[in-house]
Amino acid sequence: MNHDQQSCFVIEGRMALPYQYFAGAVGSRFIVALRDDKKILAVRGAKNGTTFLPPRQTCERTFESLEDNWVEVGPDGTVTGFTVIRYREPYQPQEPPYVLALIRLDGADAPIVHLVECGEVASMRVGMRVRAVFADDPVDNILAIRHFTEVK
Amino acid sequence: MPDDKKAELIVSRQVLSIPQRFATGPIMGRFLAELLDNRRIMAVRAPGSRCLLPPREVDAVTMQEAVEWVEVGPEGTIRDFDVVYYASPDPLTGETRDVPYIICWVDLDGAGEGAPLWHLLDAPDPGKVRCGMRVRAVFNDERCGCMEDIRHFEIIEET
Amino acid sequence: MKRKRRNVAVIGSGMSHFSSHREEVNQPEMIHEAVVEALDDAGMTLDEVDCVLHGNMELFEMVHQPDMWHAIASGVWGKSGLRLTTGGTTGITLACAADNLVASGLHDVVLAIGFEKLQEGHTTGGITNMADPLWGRSIQTGALTGTTAQAVIDEFGEERAKHAAMKMRIIMDEHAMLNEKAHRRLGLDRQFIKEMADNSPPLVGELRMLHMCSQSDGACAVVFASEEKAEALGAAPAWVVDHETVHREETLMFSPEKTTMRVAAERMFTRNGITDPRRDIDVFEMYDPSAWWGLDWLREFLLLEGDEHLKMVENDEIRIDGAFPLNPSGGVQASNPIGATALVRVAEAAMQVRGVAGGHQVPKPVRRALASGFGGTLWTVLMLLSREKPVLGGHCDA
Repeated sequence: MNHDQQSCFVIEGRMALPYQYFAGAVGSRFIVALRDDKKILAVRGAKNGTTFLPPRQTCERTFESLEDNWVEVGPDGTVTGFTVIRYREPYQPQEPPYVLALIRLDGADAPIVHLVECGEVASMRVGMRVRAVFADDPVDNILAIRHFTEVK
Repeated sequence: MPDDKKAELIVSRQVLSIPQRFATGPIMGRFLAELLDNRRIMAVRAPGSRCLLPPREVDAVTMQEAVEWVEVGPEGTIRDFDVVYYASPDPLTGETRDVPYIICWVDLDGAGEGAPLWHLLDAPDPGKVRCGMRVRAVFNDERCGCMEDIRHFEIIEET
Repeated sequence: MKRKRRNVAVIGSGMSHFSSHREEVNQPEMIHEAVVEALDDAGMTLDEVDCVLHGNMELFEMVHQPDMWHAIASGVWGKSGLRLTTGGTTGITLACAADNLVASGLHDVVLAIGFEKLQEGHTTGGITNMADPLWGRSIQTGALTGTTAQAVIDEFGEERAKHAAMKMRIIMDEHAMLNEKAHRRLGLDRQFIKEMADNSPPLVGELRMLHMCSQSDGACAVVFASEEKAEALGAAPAWVVDHETVHREETLMFSPEKTTMRVAAERMFTRNGITDPRRDIDVFEMYDPSAWWGLDWLREFLLLEGDEHLKMVENDEIRIDGAFPLNPSGGVQASNPIGATALVRVAEAAMQVRGVAGGHQVPKPVRRALASGFGGTLWTVLMLLSREKPVLGGHCDA
């Protein structure tokens, strides 16, 4: 192409669209229990005994329905991996630096991602025992658990 | 857990608002620069082919590179129009538009019939707008190098 | 040249409940309803599925890579999977891809899933983002336009055109009343055609609220299988005879001589020896986003001239018990979960061929059924299904 590159420029734009997300009956029961009862609920499959957190309606492998087999897990768990967020962008849950960790709650078969408040970032380690600290005000999402802290 | 809590269904409502940057490229860049600097509407065409408006690098029908610039308009003829009563959000701002408004497709003088320009039409009485009416582009005094530098088209009153 | 190496059959389909609001399920849970019903209909288990195709509209639910987080309920876990998104045609593009994947021998059983939860986003806002940000986005109004209505009015006169469009809408609603899965079942009364045409709230020009398709939440799943697999299962399937996709350039403003609907139909019919589509095809599931488009496109898809299409509506030929049944399901005007919508057309056409459409089964024998998809800058996809197994290697471009 043999065009005048001087004509090229950049226009600032924006995409702004309203949307909403429905958690569904299973997801809502999980969030409501976190928010109102400060309990962490999971579901357990009968066929292979897997405990799913967050809870889901169906086992993706066996297609069995899980929604009637609720179990409580946590609030303690073990850090199975972590990272330190040091950069800044608009939608972060708190000021960097902060720790995002994979936490396998006692009784669950897979970890969830959440914040760990540990004072010094350098003190974080895999295998650390942590406990859920619930938010004081009602929150309609996973931040109904405000963060996890180390259990000494 | 009490049944009334089981029945609560959680919904998360948000407005997704993302800043974007669009590269004009050389063709659209020149088109917008001409609106900004010279209040001129420029189309392109491949040799011996139809005009493309807004201009694009390649004629998608003949697959030829469109290299000739042609000044068209600012007057033209309404090929088609829509009177919009449905208040949709402007996706650039998320704000709901005022209704009714009129969208028109204008065959600009010199552009032939293969390249109607899509824009807004300002008409005092939407019920009197007809295909074939003569219209003229109205430019903003303050321009920024965007399609909205043409504020709208207006109907040329017959004398 | 287009030749098929293996025959492909639709052996099962499923649909979730369609509604304007499905707050009680999240996206994967809604999809799961359709998947379970499709596997059940096909008489097979998830183990027998080789590949899962997933599609919906971009920007509608604001979910990035939905195929990945729907894996908890779509059946794709541990299997081959693809995500396809081609706008309104997404559903039938999924069907074409499934046909290709099985015909080529890559997979024996492919599950195609289309879904949309339109309530979770803003449909018109999402579609408007399809337009070029530099010259179209501030002007476009989603998929709403009154220009087709105006063209029909200009050609046939206001009274006849408005009557025919609303008659089309009423027939679609009469069909939806026979289909328990349909979203909008309004019970429109024929004796009030004129009142509805005059008084339904206007959206754009003469396109009124009643003419326009619904905004639905819903999912559809269809099982495509190889000839060996289909015949092993025993039940009479719907064979995929052919499919055709016709695109056009990116702007809506340039009107070529022929619509993509007419070009697609000409190619499809020529390849398959269809000389009189109204005689050779027994039922048509058309992606009809509004009554005006449905009316206008009838002429294009059936390669008609003049006012033949208006007469078909005026004479009730398109009714379920008419000479050429159109959308016995109620069509898109009744239910429109967009990413699923065009796959629903294929599923419904296959159900008619298989004779399992229940309350909205066409009474006459169905040997061949046609399904269409519509999207983007007025592009078209067609799929032809038959009761009789196609002869392999028979297709070639004219």
